[in-house]
Amino acid sequence: MTEILPPLAVALPLGGAALLLLVGRLLPWRIPDGFSVLVALAVLAADAAMAAAAAKAPLVYWFGGWAPRGSLVLGIGFVVGQADAAVAAVVALLFAASFVFAWGYFEDIRAFFHVLMLLFLAAMQGFCLTHDLFNLFVWFEVMSVAAFALTAYRLEASSLEGALNFTVTNSIGSFLMLGGIGFVYLRSGTLDFGALGRSVAAAPHDPVFACAFTALAAALLIKGAMVPFQFWLADAHAVAPSPVSVIFSGAMVPLGIFGIAKLYWEAFAPAPSIGTVMQTLLFAMGAASALLGGLAALRQRHLKRLLAFSTISHVGILLCGVALLNPRGLGGMLAYLAGHALVKGALFMIAGILLSRLGGIDEIGLRGRGGEIWPAGVALAIAGLLLGGAPVGLLDQGSRLVDSAADAAGRAWLLPALVLGTACTGAAVLRAAGRIFLGWGEMPGEEERAPSEQEEEKPNRPLWLMLLPVVVLLALAVAAAAASSEHFATRLAARFIAWDGGASLKSLAVPLPVPKQPSPHPFIPWLSLGLSLLIAAHDLGRSRLPRAWLAASDRALAPLFIIIDRLHDGVVGAYVTWIVVGLALFSVSFVAASG
Amino acid sequence: MKRRARLVLAAVATLALVPGLGAAVAQLPRFGAHPLPYGEAINRVAPVERHVTNMVTAVNFDYRGLDTVGEEFMLLTAVTGALVLLRGRRGESVTDSAAEAPGRPIPQRSPALRLLCRCFAPVLLLFGLYVVLHAQLTPGGGFQGGAIIGSGTLLIYLGEDYRIWRRHMRAHLFDAMEAVGALLFLGAGIAPMIAGASFLQNILPLGRTGSLISGGLILIANAGVALAVTGGFVLLLLEFLEETRAAEPEDEA
Amino acid sequence: MSLLPWTVALWLFAIGLYGVITSRHYVHLIGCLTVVQSSTYVLLLAVGYRWGAGAPIFFDHPPGTPAVDPVVQALVLTDIVVGATVTALLLALALQVHKRRGTVDPDALRPLR
Repeated sequence: MTEILPPLAVALPLGGAALLLLVGRLLPWRIPDGFSVLVALAVLAADAAMAAAAAKAPLVYWFGGWAPRGSLVLGIGFVVGQADAAVAAVVALLFAASFVFAWGYFEDIRAFFHVLMLLFLAAMQGFCLTHDLFNLFVWFEVMSVAAFALTAYRLEASSLEGALNFTVTNSIGSFLMLGGIGFVYLRSGTLDFGALGRSVAAAPHDPVFACAFTALAAALLIKGAMVPFQFWLADAHAVAPSPVSVIFSGAMVPLGIFGIAKLYWEAFAPAPSIGTVMQTLLFAMGAASALLGGLAALRQRHLKRLLAFSTISHVGILLCGVALLNPRGLGGMLAYLAGHALVKGALFMIAGILLSRLGGIDEIGLRGRGGEIWPAGVALAIAGLLLGGAPVGLLDQGSRLVDSAADAAGRAWLLPALVLGTACTGAAVLRAAGRIFLGWGEMPGEEERAPSEQEEEKPNRPLWLMLLPVVVLLALAVAAAAASSEHFATRLAARFIAWDGGASLKSLAVPLPVPKQPSPHPFIPWLSLGLSLLIAAHDLGRSRLPRAWLAASDRALAPLFIIIDRLHDGVVGAYVTWIVVGLALFSVSFVAASG
Repeated sequence: MKRRARLVLAAVATLALVPGLGAAVAQLPRFGAHPLPYGEAINRVAPVERHVTNMVTAVNFDYRGLDTVGEEFMLLTAVTGALVLLRGRRGESVTDSAAEAPGRPIPQRSPALRLLCRCFAPVLLLFGLYVVLHAQLTPGGGFQGGAIIGSGTLLIYLGEDYRIWRRHMRAHLFDAMEAVGALLFLGAGIAPMIAGASFLQNILPLGRTGSLISGGLILIANAGVALAVTGGFVLLLLEFLEETRAAEPEDEA
Repeated sequence: MSLLPWTVALWLFAIGLYGVITSRHYVHLIGCLTVVQSSTYVLLLAVGYRWGAGAPIFFDHPPGTPAVDPVVQALVLTDIVVGATVTALLLALALQVHKRRGTVDPDALRPLR
């Protein structure tokens, strides 16, 4: 039974989307909502079943019946390891929650929203499960195109501009990926990860493979919004409808980083120069993103833009976990991915509640108006505490694992970046909670400067229906960590790494046992939590602080903030320039690694 | 960032890229002199195993059929997205009067244009159909043929009045065509699974090499793709052309 | 001469990106993206080429005649569909932006400022 699950995980949402497209016009408007939730839950069940079945060895499925002949791979295969299925399951769960949240939101043209979202889901499933490089590209493209269309869904001027920036930068990423595929095929003659791994092992110092890896990794990093490719994210997230932003931040952006993990471990691991570049350049990119995202988040008063920058920060930590190249780091990344998806999804849903109930998204403009929807305030505070590093839940588990892995790899200097990044993002959310729901932090003169464009979403759903998925996601984020030990994530990661991508076409190599290790810095959660509360209190209590302190701190921090604001100016030509700069960084790193 | 700053930064970055790229390009194999095992194997086995003579179609619809499924649905996604963007505010109404740009009168269609279009449109549509049907034999396939048929309908627009053309090109028909094509292709993939084989495995009788009915499941997949591509392209053309009409007074705010 | 196809592909990529970076009109920018895409076509097709080989169509010749690589041609076909779809979406976006903002100058279009 489980043998036929891999294609079903992709075929179910594809079929659902095509069906809705055919008959959507004729259906009353609740049916597409319910149908989409059912499809998402079915995919979730399929992924969970595959994860359970892949405990001993990954599930292998060859499409079209084209099993490999000797060492020649003729067709496309899906190889579903436990980690792949787990990530796919988290994505499906997020979609189900988002569909419940969006119940009745889109009641206009013919279920187009549900069609696009189901196609989005199918593409993500294919991306997680595939074992073929061009197939990865195809699902990457479907994901991108669905995202482009969904960003512009609201047809406001700023939505369109955000969608344009998003589309142009990510299209360049797609072209880079195609270039990488061309180089890979040229040198190895195959597109299957396993066969590619064998080719790389036969020629580990070949610069063509390094060039191909650069192009592929750059494309995935553009999707994953890492420095210096991150500029499109804030523009796109701020203007997309809230249910869509849930998926963007929770699933789409972290999948870029998961894709890099897949690419490295299943194909490019035998090349030492690529490993060096991962551990140096990509690790630095992750740390820089963690810092930049956190600092920029503090500056925002538009809640969704704030959350977008916090996504950059947390996904930077994901990249650090991958770039450490050891099972504990990867396990931390997996746990952190799950935790971040759940918490960030809940946060964007709360932003959607604010938009639909209070008719605004500007933190300062909404000050004190949150009294009537106080359960959302409680949820916002809890989410802020989790983001800020509270010592419960999946986020905490993940960050402890990543930190101990960094420590073991001799990069303990990740610690300040990690602490500062999470503290800043947590502080920003807690500050928003305090301001909107408790009325603290008056900023005289600022309240009149709310952005001119009136933003709102339809207020036609009952509050409890919108809060339900929020509560479920937050509860899972906390409880899932209690149910599983942190060793579960590490075990998943060890299996992921041990599967040699089918290079030997034999069964799974026995994963090395990863010893349980106490965290080297047990005070991290308290440090970042305390720091985030401190920063939030500082921002909220500005009117009570001595004038001299405020002037001094503003003067010290102003240049940094001005640079961040100026760089994220919304001009697409500048964004593309930074992409070229990022490619140059790769080139320099490779020359340094091999020279 | 100012444009000058952008250019300077991009130039510096390009210079930094040169050593890495140079090292890679120096190691590339000689152009045209490095046969690759995957392609060679397909050229060798596909005519025998699938009774087709167009290797590209065999790769597209059989060996790497899942890629084409994804590509097909990507077309669906993009067309749906474009429909959302273009129909969104306008609704699904059809306007009769052409939009006028100031200072540019709308010329009448000349009889020569009408005659030529009436002669060539059927030829083009027939050619598109030929390309679709001969997918497994000669260069062509569902995508190529669908694009040709879609463009052929443009010839009809050129020769006829927009009102008449629009009344015959019913958007609902092409919406349905697109969805049916996608479902047909997906169904062609799932049906072998019900029979116990793999997704998109070619279990139908393969026919005689060189005849129109050969290739088994490739024919059905091809038909699905042709329907979906035709529907998609015509929908896009319809929506973009509708943008050239004058806006209704109650349309845009 | 053996480096010419790769050089052409890289040049097209670079010049297309230059166009995107310095563009003043979104439709021009979309055209430049198409140029960048063509570089990937050139690269992929050059990968599959073989001197003295014909098309991988065996309708007129018997199977076994030297033919170029059909896999990259299938990849390019998918690539073309990708390009067409993204271009259509971008043009629709540009059209709507023009209606709402009255301009299609990338430097003047800044979300949320």
